Amino acid sequence: MKKIAIILLTLFALWSCTKDGPSGPNVDDFDREAILVNWSDNIIIPSFTAFSGSADQLHSDASAFAQAPTLQNLEILRNSWKSAYLAFQHVSMFEMGKAMELRFRDNLNIYPTDTTEIETNIMEGNYNLELSSLNDSQGFPALDYMLNGLGANDTETLAFYTTHENSNGYLTYLTDLTARIQFLSSEVLTDWTSGYRDEFVSNSGNGANSSLDMMVNDYIYYYEKHLRAGKIGIPAGVFSGSPLSTHVEAYYSDAFSKSLFNEALNASQNFFNGTHFESNTSGESLKSYLDFLNTMKDGTDLATLINNQFDAAREEAKILNDNFAEQVESNNNLMLSTYDQLQLNVVYMKVDMLQALNINVDYVDADGD
Amino acid sequence: MKLNKLFVLTLTSIVMISCGSNDDPQIDVPANYEFTRNGESTVSFTGQTTRIKMTTELVGAINDFDNSTKELLLQMYRNQTADGGDANPYSDEELNAATKNVKSKVAASTDYFSTNTTVSAELKNQFETWLINQIEEVYPNENTMAEPGQPGQIADGSSTRYVNGKGFEYNQLVGKSLIGALMTDQILNNYISTSVLDAGTNREDNNNGTLAEGSNYTNMEHKWDEAYGYLYGTATDLSNPVPTTGDDDAFLNKYLGRLEADEDFAGISQEVFDAFKLGRAAIVAGEYAVRDKQAQIIRENLSKAIAVRAVYYLQSGKNALDQETPDYGAAFHDLSEGYGFIFSLQFTRVPNSDSPYLTKTDVDGFLAQLTQGNGLWEVTPQTLDNIAQEIAGQFDFTIEEAAN
Repeated sequence: MKKIAIILLTLFALWSCTKDGPSGPNVDDFDREAILVNWSDNIIIPSFTAFSGSADQLHSDASAFAQAPTLQNLEILRNSWKSAYLAFQHVSMFEMGKAMELRFRDNLNIYPTDTTEIETNIMEGNYNLELSSLNDSQGFPALDYMLNGLGANDTETLAFYTTHENSNGYLTYLTDLTARIQFLSSEVLTDWTSGYRDEFVSNSGNGANSSLDMMVNDYIYYYEKHLRAGKIGIPAGVFSGSPLSTHVEAYYSDAFSKSLFNEALNASQNFFNGTHFESNTSGESLKSYLDFLNTMKDGTDLATLINNQFDAAREEAKILNDNFAEQVESNNNLMLSTYDQLQLNVVYMKVDMLQALNINVDYVDADGD
Repeated sequence: MKLNKLFVLTLTSIVMISCGSNDDPQIDVPANYEFTRNGESTVSFTGQTTRIKMTTELVGAINDFDNSTKELLLQMYRNQTADGGDANPYSDEELNAATKNVKSKVAASTDYFSTNTTVSAELKNQFETWLINQIEEVYPNENTMAEPGQPGQIADGSSTRYVNGKGFEYNQLVGKSLIGALMTDQILNNYISTSVLDAGTNREDNNNGTLAEGSNYTNMEHKWDEAYGYLYGTATDLSNPVPTTGDDDAFLNKYLGRLEADEDFAGISQEVFDAFKLGRAAIVAGEYAVRDKQAQIIRENLSKAIAVRAVYYLQSGKNALDQETPDYGAAFHDLSEGYGFIFSLQFTRVPNSDSPYLTKTDVDGFLAQLTQGNGLWEVTPQTLDNIAQEIAGQFDFTIEEAAN
């Protein structure tokens, strides 16, 4: 057996040496499992743990507000909502396993939210938030409306929860929204910590259904559709031809859309570099895989190009108004130039990186009907 | 030198063969679908445009939970009230004013149904049953989660689909089945049929340039144009529809465009248009053999378009079901479209024959396999593969070519 293995290995080595193109490390020689371990133990599970904790806090603060709807409790709740929304930016890209089954992102962050539907739900009171037709009237964007969009100022907003004829309906809807976020986040976290982590790590092959291939596809899909398009491109009118300021994330908050964008951009770059959650330590990652393969593009190291491009997008976004809706209305060109910087990394990652890692794109734009 | 001579000889032969083939030099084929007599256009297919628009409104209204009722949907289908009175169900006033309707042209071709009115009536009524079921089964369950045996809604990506207890979307059943029962049947088995083109004194009139009463066209010219209208009646440029084929309606035009976009079938859209154009020019020239040859080309290609889409959706549905966590929402949507395309297969036409590629019996058998028990909730990948194989086996394409 050993002999055969050696012969085969030799043949393989010879074959490798004789094939055309740049010689270098083989894509299969890298320890893919090491990446999966680093992702799970140092990024994904800690991120979901943090998010689940902030979702607990959010619900507990919403319940406290429902008990005593004061301005002070409203402020506390708004802060919890912001913390949880920021924490969500670290897990939104991991739409696999239980998260995929629950359609986690669709439940938590479809925007713009449907305020007419929210008001109907509150008025009629017999809603079922598990229905996919109610995805756009729940999650963080719905809470944004409930906390920042009901009234023109704090007094008006508070009145919906105190003196409004259906104030109980508003309070119930508010706590139902936070309860659902808490439930969904705990479901996903529990799944990761009670078996899915091992399943994820052990599926370390290089086929289309391997963990690495699927995660990389999910990650690039997230970057392309939700970070680049959702947070910047769609409100800037890249796809519709005219700017849509109402389509920014956290539309009802004064100056929060940019914070969410920056958080998501950092989370994406950290994932690429294998940077541990809330730490400066890095482990095996897409970057180290590309480094191992010594991947070059036009004479420059591809991993460096990608990191530089993340930095360029962040730099370009620096001058943006903290309120993206205002930015779209005052000078949309700055939004567009940020979009362009983000788009360059779609090419580096979706084309060059996937080619180097020998991964096929598994998603296409929907049929449209 | 010898080689050169041979080359010249071959070239000459090719040129001669080309000249001697179907493109009879006497036929004057215009660049676009434009034909005139005494300086005025002879092309007319307003009735087809109207029916495509009516069908579009009907299919759009099926999931309009806030505004649609059983009466409204049935009126859109019949353009009449239940007791035969004048109805105004459409948002487009031109459609309300029209005397045309969808129902009378469903399963109504001369070749397939003029002596088969029992089946024609059954098929016409099938659409009414679907519309009624939508209101009675699905509407009351708009805000219920679908389960086996339970109509309601189900997520498909970020879309929400509304299905019956077996997992089928009635709007897809109606929309995709009409591609066969209305557009395909009228084109392949009615307007480009010899029996219709040559009916009565049509040939004699066409030869003599005798025009239909009050019109600038001969009856035969008009019949051919009506066939054209069921494919291109809402095209952006009615005389030059190839560049926008696929975008001009949600029916046969759309799915011919889908084939065009698949490299395995690229060129089909031009081929169909060229056949329509040459056939029409042949009628003007009185060259009926050329005309009939174009009709066969149209039959072959449009039949294939339906079959390819049937196989495509069966395969997409299979892939969505055949995984660790089945994506029921995506599968149900694909397979509902697939159901409609399979239904449509009974209206296809094998060139130079009087029969469809798959008979009504074949089609009913496939559909029974999809709907038995709890329907799509329990259909197996094996069943979907088998049906796809049986369909593709009647055509000259493979499952792989259709599936991507």
